[in-house]
Amino acid sequence: MTIIAVPRPSRKAMNPDRPTNCLVLAQVRHLQQAECRLPVKYRSEIYAHAIRTEGEAARYIREVTEAIHKAHGEAAAKRTRAAGARRGRPKVKTKSRKARKSK
Amino acid sequence: MPAGLDNLKHMVVLMMENRSFDHMLGSLKAVDQRIDGITDQMGNPDNTGALVKPQLLAGFQGQLDPDPDHHFSAVDLQIFGADMSPTRVANMQGFVKSYFNQQRDTAHSQKVMYCFKQADLPVLTTLALEFAVFNRWFASIPGPTICNRAFAHYGTSFGRVDMNPFDVIEPIKSIYTRLISARPKHTAKVYYYDTTSSTMEVVNLLQNQPELFGTYKQFLSDCAQGLLPEYSFVEPNYNDHETDEGEEVASDQHPDHDVQAGEFLIAEVYSAIKRNPALWASTALLVLYDEHGGIFDHVVPPNCVPDKFTATANDTGTGMEFKFDRLGVRVPAVLISPWIPKNTVVDRVFDHASIPATVTRFFELDATQSPREIGADIFIEPNVGTVDPGRNLLSLDVMRTDCPDFDV
Repeated sequence: MTIIAVPRPSRKAMNPDRPTNCLVLAQVRHLQQAECRLPVKYRSEIYAHAIRTEGEAARYIREVTEAIHKAHGEAAAKRTRAAGARRGRPKVKTKSRKARKSK
Repeated sequence: MPAGLDNLKHMVVLMMENRSFDHMLGSLKAVDQRIDGITDQMGNPDNTGALVKPQLLAGFQGQLDPDPDHHFSAVDLQIFGADMSPTRVANMQGFVKSYFNQQRDTAHSQKVMYCFKQADLPVLTTLALEFAVFNRWFASIPGPTICNRAFAHYGTSFGRVDMNPFDVIEPIKSIYTRLISARPKHTAKVYYYDTTSSTMEVVNLLQNQPELFGTYKQFLSDCAQGLLPEYSFVEPNYNDHETDEGEEVASDQHPDHDVQAGEFLIAEVYSAIKRNPALWASTALLVLYDEHGGIFDHVVPPNCVPDKFTATANDTGTGMEFKFDRLGVRVPAVLISPWIPKNTVVDRVFDHASIPATVTRFFELDATQSPREIGADIFIEPNVGTVDPGRNLLSLDVMRTDCPDFDV
């Protein structure tokens, strides 16, 4: 079996101060749009328009991505609790429309 | 039925960023003449009119800064060599001119013709020579990332040729929704690298269906535990960042990110699948690039079935509208499975719409598809009826045991 050596990237490759490329900037813009639709309590305090470097972009991308997951997670948990409460509630017998009419 | 298709249960797509076929794999023509790479006869004029040939001088980082322009109008220049006449013919003669426009530096503009030596890319070139390399896999649009990635998820970009968010127009659904809402239900996941890198499909998938997403760490764990869904789309790390576990170097290979980091990622994804024998026997891995990133390629993109959308002259920035009737520039694409004969070269035409087209056909999904997706060729045959042996890439009767390993 052939084993191929894979060179590791140079340590110099890492540069969070590198100016953001157009792809990461576009991703930030898309996340801004998504962030605007989140309830206020989930929004980040980062001023996205001032992002210039990959490191700055990375912090914003992480905050908004995690906020989206959190907002959906909490909404799903709330839904589950509400459904559970409805299931646990004693059933109240109500008269059918037909029965009410005949009265 | 062919044993490879009988065994196939998982498809994994790893989509990298912004490198052309000739730039990454063009050197392989010297190894195998069937691979449509670079020759001495090729070239592009620079701003002085001098011919610049492709040269094996590409570096891992630092050469393509600034990032070569690959918006629609720049790619139009690259493909048509600045000819805007109504009778123009694509000639792939505008790459150096286009790059010159960014810095007005003749010497620097020539670097867009640089290609990698085979030895510089031990992972991608080994996989290309060991499995199936596509001579004619093109980006879906002669334009940038977001609209091209949309084709991989939806089979269309819904009329967009740019980096702006797009709206999904019903009844077309993403390949993930098609899978998870099918009866019987299938499984699908998008694995982004981590939350700090996130996804390039924010506005529709992440915002509305975050449950579809997992992390790269989860991908590795799912491979090891045999929990991989039937369809997985893996995204590389798009930015340099620090985590609690240390530094994470961008692995997407987008210029000017380090190409070796991407090589390592490709090797890791391959190895994660291969280390689980049951998964290796039942998985096809497609490694490809979303678009060429403004970097030289010599093959003229062919015309294709028009999509039902038209991008306006204003959207394209060329003064001409675009009916989605021509593919983008050629990109590297390699299909990997132990059921593929060593050193397979595929000459049929594909683009990213081939991804949802293939998954939809293979898993027999009931879906509305865009005209482009309907017109796209498939790279894995559906395992129903008679399978044409001339088209089936997973054609071996017995699984290979000589596939390479990487030291990752």
